[in-house]
Amino acid sequence: MTGPVFVIVELRNGAPVRSSLEALGAGRRLAGPPGTTPVIALLLGSAVESAAAHVAERGADQVLTIVDPRFDSFQAAVWSAAITALAQELGVIAVLLAGTAHGRQLVGRLAARWGAAAVTGIADISISNDGAMLAVRPVFSGRALQEVRVDAPRVVLGLRPNAFPPPEPSGSKAPVLAHATPELGKLPALGHVSGFETAQSASGPDLSEATVIVSGGRGLKGPENFRMLDELAASLGGAVGASRAVTDSGWKPAALQIGQTGRTVSPQLYIAIGISGAIQHLVGMISSRTIVAINSDPGAPIFKVADYGIVGDLFQIVPALTSEVRRVRGS
Amino acid sequence: MELLVLIKPVPDPETRLRPNAAGTDLDTDGVKWVLTGYDESAVEQALLLKEAIPGSKVRAIAFGPAPRTEEILRSALALGCDAATWVEQPKDAAGDPMLAAEALAAACQNVPFDLILSGKQALDDEAGLVGPAVAERLGVADYGPVVDLRWDAAANQFTFARAIEGGLERMVAPPPLVVGLQQAWNDPRTAKLQNVLKARRIAIDKVTWANPPPGVGPAAPGTHVAAFRLPPPRTGAKMIEYKTPEEAAQKLVRLLREEAKTLP
Ligand SMILES: Cc1cc2nc3c(=O)[nH]c(=O)nc-3n(C[C@H](O)[C@H](O)[C@H](O)COP(=O)(O)OP(=O)(O)OC[C@H]3O[C@@H](n4cnc5c(N)ncnc54)[C@H](O)[C@@H]3O)c2cc1C
Ligand SMILES: Nc1ncnc2c1ncn2[C@@H]1O[C@H](COP(=O)(O)O)[C@@H](O)[C@H]1O
Repeated sequence: MTGPVFVIVELRNGAPVRSSLEALGAGRRLAGPPGTTPVIALLLGSAVESAAAHVAERGADQVLTIVDPRFDSFQAAVWSAAITALAQELGVIAVLLAGTAHGRQLVGRLAARWGAAAVTGIADISISNDGAMLAVRPVFSGRALQEVRVDAPRVVLGLRPNAFPPPEPSGSKAPVLAHATPELGKLPALGHVSGFETAQSASGPDLSEATVIVSGGRGLKGPENFRMLDELAASLGGAVGASRAVTDSGWKPAALQIGQTGRTVSPQLYIAIGISGAIQHLVGMISSRTIVAINSDPGAPIFKVADYGIVGDLFQIVPALTSEVRRVRGS
Repeated sequence: MELLVLIKPVPDPETRLRPNAAGTDLDTDGVKWVLTGYDESAVEQALLLKEAIPGSKVRAIAFGPAPRTEEILRSALALGCDAATWVEQPKDAAGDPMLAAEALAAACQNVPFDLILSGKQALDDEAGLVGPAVAERLGVADYGPVVDLRWDAAANQFTFARAIEGGLERMVAPPPLVVGLQQAWNDPRTAKLQNVLKARRIAIDKVTWANPPPGVGPAAPGTHVAAFRLPPPRTGAKMIEYKTPEEAAQKLVRLLREEAKTLP
C-alpha cells in the first residue's frame, strides 16, 4: 500500500467515541506495524485538544487537527468536502469511519465526492496474498456474509461497532499537528441542530454501542420487573433492550425495540430473558457474538440460536446471575 | 411540494437464503421481491407529508432489473404514490450501491423536488450508501437516520430528528434535502384492492440509464463480492444443568469467562 490511511475520530462531550478508537485499531491492522503505512487520526471541531492527546497514544502515527467551529455539529456535506480536500492533498488511500450514526451517514457522500469505492458494516478486514483488501460484512441482518474485494486506488471503509478491539495505550506519543481548514468549495443550503433529547434509558451505553445487551420479553410480566434487568445490565456495564411485545405494551419506549421493525444490534454478549425468539426478533440480534437465553419453555425457538441456555424461571435465575456477576467482577 | 421516494426491491425477509452456484451472491431463484423495511417507512412518510401539505405529489423512483422493479413501483402506486420512474438496470450491471446512486441521481436531476426520501439502509445489502451519495451528486444536504419528520409551513422548513447514540438530535432544514428514514411504523398502510387495480393503469416513466461509467459490467468499479456465504449454523444452545439458581448462575458466568470470553 502506498499512501497514508485516515481514521476520522468522532467526539462526544470532547472525548473520542469508542467506535472511533475501534476504527484506530482497524486502521492499524490494515496499515501493518508502525513505521510502514502511516495511520493518521483526523479530528475536526473547536475543542479537540484533549481528545487529540488521547488518540496520540493509541495506535496513530500522526494526529491532525482542524480547529474550526464549523465542524462542531456533524454536517455530511461539510465534512466530506473537508476530508476529500485533505485526502487529495496528502495522497490518502483509505478513510476509515466509525460505526456510529454520523459515521455511517458520511461514507456514501464522501466516496461520491472523492471518487472512491465504499464498503460499510465491516466486521473483519485483511489483506489478501495478492495485496488486495478483503472486507467481511454481514448482510441480511446477519443471516449471510459477504466477502468484498477492494481493487480501487481509494476507498472509504465504514466499520461495524464492536468488531475491532480499541488499541491499548502504546506508551509512545504520536505528533499532533494543526492543519488549516481546507478550501470547502460551494456548499449546499444546510440545516442546523436546534436541540438534543437524551434517550430515556440514559444510564447505560446506547444499544448500538453497548458491548453487552440484556433484553427482556413478555416473560417479564410487567414494566416494574425490568428493574431486575436494569440491575443485571448495570452489573455488566451494558444496556437494556426489549422485544416488540414489551414495547407494544408500553412497558419500555419503542427506541429500545430490537428486531425487524426496531434496532439491529451486534454486541459481544446478548442475554435474552423471557423472549420466545420469533424470527422478527432474531433478525435484529442474530449477529451478536455470544447469545444467552433464559426461558421457562425448553421448546422456545430462542434456544436454537443461543450459545448457552438456561431453562428456568427468570424471576429466580436473573437475581442469582446479577449477584454472581457482581461477585466475579468485584462490584 | 414535490416529494421523491427511492425504493429498492429486496427479497422477502422470510426468504430462506441460499448462495448461488458460484458462491458470490444470493440464489434468487424463486425469491419473492417486496417493498419492505426502511423503504416502506420512506413511502409511508412521503404519503403522510403529502396528506399534510395541500398540492403535494409523491413520485417513487427505483433502479433495477425487470420485472421486480416495475412490480414494486406498482405496489408504491397502489399505496398512494402519484407517479413512478423506473431506471432500468442493464442486464449484466452489478447491483453495487454506488452505481445505483449514480443512476438514481441522474434520474432525479430531471424532475423537480423539494425532498428526496430513502431508507436508512436496504434490508438486503445494508449498505446505507445510496441516499448520501445521491445527495452529493445533486449538490444538496443530506441527513439521517431521520425520525419524526414534519413540514413547518410558516418557517418554510422541515423539522426532524437524527437518531444518534444516546438520544435524538433535533434539527431544522430548508428544502431541497435528502433524508434517510429510520422510523419504522409498526403498522404502515396496506393497499386497498381498488387502488391496486387503479395503479395498474398508471403509466410508469421508464428511463434507460444511458451513461454507465466505463468498465461497468459484472464487476462494479473498485469493489466486488468475492464470496457470499451463510454463517456457520448455530448448533443449538449448550444447556446448563443445575439444581439451584445460584449454581446455574455460577456455571453460566464461568462459561462466559473461560469458554466464550465475552464477559467483560
Ligand atoms: C411485521 C412484524 C414485525 C415485527 N417486528 C418485531 C421486532 O422488531 N421485534 C420483536 O421483538 N418482535 C417483532 N415482531 C413480533 C414477533 O413476532 C413476536 O410476537 C415478539 O417478538 C414476541 O415477543 P416476546 O418474545 O417478548 O413474547 P412471547 O412470544 O410471548 O414470549 C414470551 C416468552 O417468555 C417466556 N416466559 C414466560 N414466563 C417466564 C418466566 N417466568 N421465566 C422465564 N421465561 C418465561 C415464555 O416461555 C415465552 O417464550 C414483529 C411481528 C411482525 C408480524
Ligand atoms: N436500486 C435502488 N433503487 C432505488 N432506491 C434504492 C436502490 N438502492 C438503494 N436505494 C435507496 O437507498 C436506500 C439505502 O440503500 P443501500 O445504500 O443499498 O443500503 C434504500 O433504503 C433505498 O431507499
